[in-house]
Amino acid sequence: MDYLYSILILVGIYVVLASSFNLIIGNAGLVSIAHPIFFALGAYTAGLTAIHFGLHAIVATLAGAVVAALFSLMMSLPSLRVSGDYLMITSIGFQLGLLQVIKNVEFTGSQGGLSNIPTPVTGPYRGLVYSVVSLAIAAAVVWMIRWIVRGPYGRAITAMRDDELAFLALGRDAMRIKIVIFAVGCGLAGIAGGLYAFYYQYVSPEQFEILASAAMLTMVVVGGMGSTLGPVVGAVLLIALPQAITFLELPPGIMAPLQGMLFTLLVIVFMFIRPQGLISPEGPTPLPGHRHGNRSGPR
Amino acid sequence: MNAVLTLDGLCKSFGGIVVADHITLELERGQILGLIGPNGAGKTSLFNLISGVVPPDAGDIRLNGVSILARPPYQRARMGIARTWQQMRLFRTMTVLENMVVAPREYAAESILNLVFKPGAVRRADEIACEQAMRILERMHLSQCADSLVTDIPFGQQKLVGLARALMNDGPCLLLDEPMAGVEGQAYDTMKAVVRQEAAAGRAVCVVEHNISFIKDLCTSAVFMSFGAILEQGSVADLLASKSLAELYFGP
Amino acid sequence: MFMFDAVVLAQILWTGLATSSYMVLFTIAFALVLKVVKLWNFAQAGLMAIAFYAMFAAVNQFQWPTVVAVAFGLLVTLAASLAFEIYGLRTLRARRTSSLMFFIFTLVCSEFAAYALTFIFGTEPAPLFAQIVSPVRILAGIAVSDWDLLAVAVTLVLTIGLALYLRLAREGQFMVAVADNADLAELYGINAKRAFGAAFAIASVFICAGMYLYGARTAVIPTTSLQLMLFAVIATLLGGMGNVFGAAFAAVALSLVQSYSVLVIPSRWQGLIVYAFLFITILFFPRGVNTSGWATRLRVRRAPAS
Repeated sequence: MDYLYSILILVGIYVVLASSFNLIIGNAGLVSIAHPIFFALGAYTAGLTAIHFGLHAIVATLAGAVVAALFSLMMSLPSLRVSGDYLMITSIGFQLGLLQVIKNVEFTGSQGGLSNIPTPVTGPYRGLVYSVVSLAIAAAVVWMIRWIVRGPYGRAITAMRDDELAFLALGRDAMRIKIVIFAVGCGLAGIAGGLYAFYYQYVSPEQFEILASAAMLTMVVVGGMGSTLGPVVGAVLLIALPQAITFLELPPGIMAPLQGMLFTLLVIVFMFIRPQGLISPEGPTPLPGHRHGNRSGPR
Repeated sequence: MNAVLTLDGLCKSFGGIVVADHITLELERGQILGLIGPNGAGKTSLFNLISGVVPPDAGDIRLNGVSILARPPYQRARMGIARTWQQMRLFRTMTVLENMVVAPREYAAESILNLVFKPGAVRRADEIACEQAMRILERMHLSQCADSLVTDIPFGQQKLVGLARALMNDGPCLLLDEPMAGVEGQAYDTMKAVVRQEAAAGRAVCVVEHNISFIKDLCTSAVFMSFGAILEQGSVADLLASKSLAELYFGP
Repeated sequence: MFMFDAVVLAQILWTGLATSSYMVLFTIAFALVLKVVKLWNFAQAGLMAIAFYAMFAAVNQFQWPTVVAVAFGLLVTLAASLAFEIYGLRTLRARRTSSLMFFIFTLVCSEFAAYALTFIFGTEPAPLFAQIVSPVRILAGIAVSDWDLLAVAVTLVLTIGLALYLRLAREGQFMVAVADNADLAELYGINAKRAFGAAFAIASVFICAGMYLYGARTAVIPTTSLQLMLFAVIATLLGGMGNVFGAAFAAVALSLVQSYSVLVIPSRWQGLIVYAFLFITILFFPRGVNTSGWATRLRVRRAPAS
């Protein structure tokens, strides 16, 4: 039963990560590889504030989200000023660089990681409570993103993706939209981090290596970039696949890279055979009193 | 002073090629200025300089007397510079109406704070924009394609939509980049009529065009450009009568 | 403020220059592909890892002599990079794929390579040869090892060779023309696809040479190349995109800064200097530092204008 709970909790965490990453790269079209580091920032902030300041899990998680969002500004403000390409490079630097800092600084526990994170829920129902919380948060995040993307704001985002130059020449501040979306997406990754920290009570740098981005890319690209349910499907897939190969009972030294190969191969195959992913994007809701044209999906 | 847009000694070169050579020009209210010249003369580049897509190497641009040189493109649009594009640049995954609704000078839903804290205001702004868009579409005989994807309507109508979208910006300045290219029949007449109406309403209009009859018909004055420089300015009749210009344009 | 010994400074300079060798090679590979193919080739990390492990397997598993092993490594890397260009990039280009998808593709290819190599070779750090210390001689009080000399020699030969190729050889000039304006070059009958292939081939040579030098001295794991590649990316940014030799110069400068930094900061933070430079570059020099300077004079003569 405990095993089932841990799966459900992971599903919740992965759905939040995939949905928020999808918001950034699928909806806003921003090129960033740094999602794992915002996951890490949320987890570490939540854990550290709980340990050192005794903050309650909910407050600590929110603190994690805020810290992640603030760090995202450090990334997006200077690089988007120049171009989207720079965000891409900055994200790689951020991902690798911040991780190096975490690994070398003492108060994060460096390589050994941060342990003994206090948990608000103990006892026999811990698994159940966390599962419910995790899935509820995941549902809320998916709904929130859907609301953002399907309303008039989403219309602006779609126009920005279709032709940014024309969008700018109409009077729209594209850079501000990108910065906001990026901050929201990274903040949500921070929330996933908080969830993670308080369930596992242990956070270490290995979980946030750049190879974690392979998992997130799989979820988003295979699930369907720009769609609401795509990341959900992708997240479930990412949990189900490793379960499928655990039956092979291979040693962990082989399992981990094998999983990685599977994920990345899936991304590559999908990119060539079905680039829109499993679930096609929907686009904004029609204007009141009007209907859609025959929407056929992304370019 | 009636000058809406003032270009003062604008200079720009890209890797050795001069696209703007000390351009000094004034655009006045109610004027329809034709910008003519051979390909590569720098006409579209001039529009790019005005709308802020490209920064000049030297010179100044003033809108109603105020320098807009330091303003990014989106601010210039909000201050009232509307333009169309040679390649149209419509939002291809959206309908005609949706293309128009994101086009007014101010868009309430652009700010996520508005979206979260002022949903009522956002909805109202949407409705107003919708009404404005439908009025413009009616003027241009396009109401029936309001809900079609822009990729589903014929080319001529797409160009009209490009103009319609620019008209959502009710500012003082309208820049049209080859609006007539590939357009004929009803669409052509509609476009001419609309441009006349806009100028009559007090807008300063500048049109880049190769279509000489359009220029003769519509423009009050014209500017001939070549290799980034203004060779001649004046009334359309004078320019078209000039032999040296004809040589430049059509060859010796 | 304490005085540094002149010999120590000179030693750091020499060793720093020698160590910058492989960084220069990786940077040139990255910058060349960026210049010609107009692609931020994050798959380079994968190619670097493949190059290393091919040579590693040749030396340690097949027991082949070094020269054969290097040739083998080069062949494997060439095959991988050309397959990547022909089957991967060309298909995506034909579909007018967005730059986001290109980015994801190149990065995922590197990640796939990293995972596959971990699967085959494990995560145990391993250098190319069992013996990583090379013979040292003292010249004017400075320790100069055989590896140092090899590194500097190889780098100079390859770099100068490339400069001459781009300037004098017809194929090299075509490559520059394609880099300037691929569509225009095609109008003149220059085959852009061949130029892309050639760029990848040259990059493979530089990558292989760089990984040989690096692996001869340091233990490598499948994810090492990602860190090395980031250095090349930053040097490319600093040198100004499209400026291959400016990037090479930046790689040397960056490497020297990193070497000298050991005098001022604890060694475990040395690796972070690169990231600090990344942020400084993005904040203050997004167009690159070398917009005019001696590096531009070394730059290849442009193809004749239309």
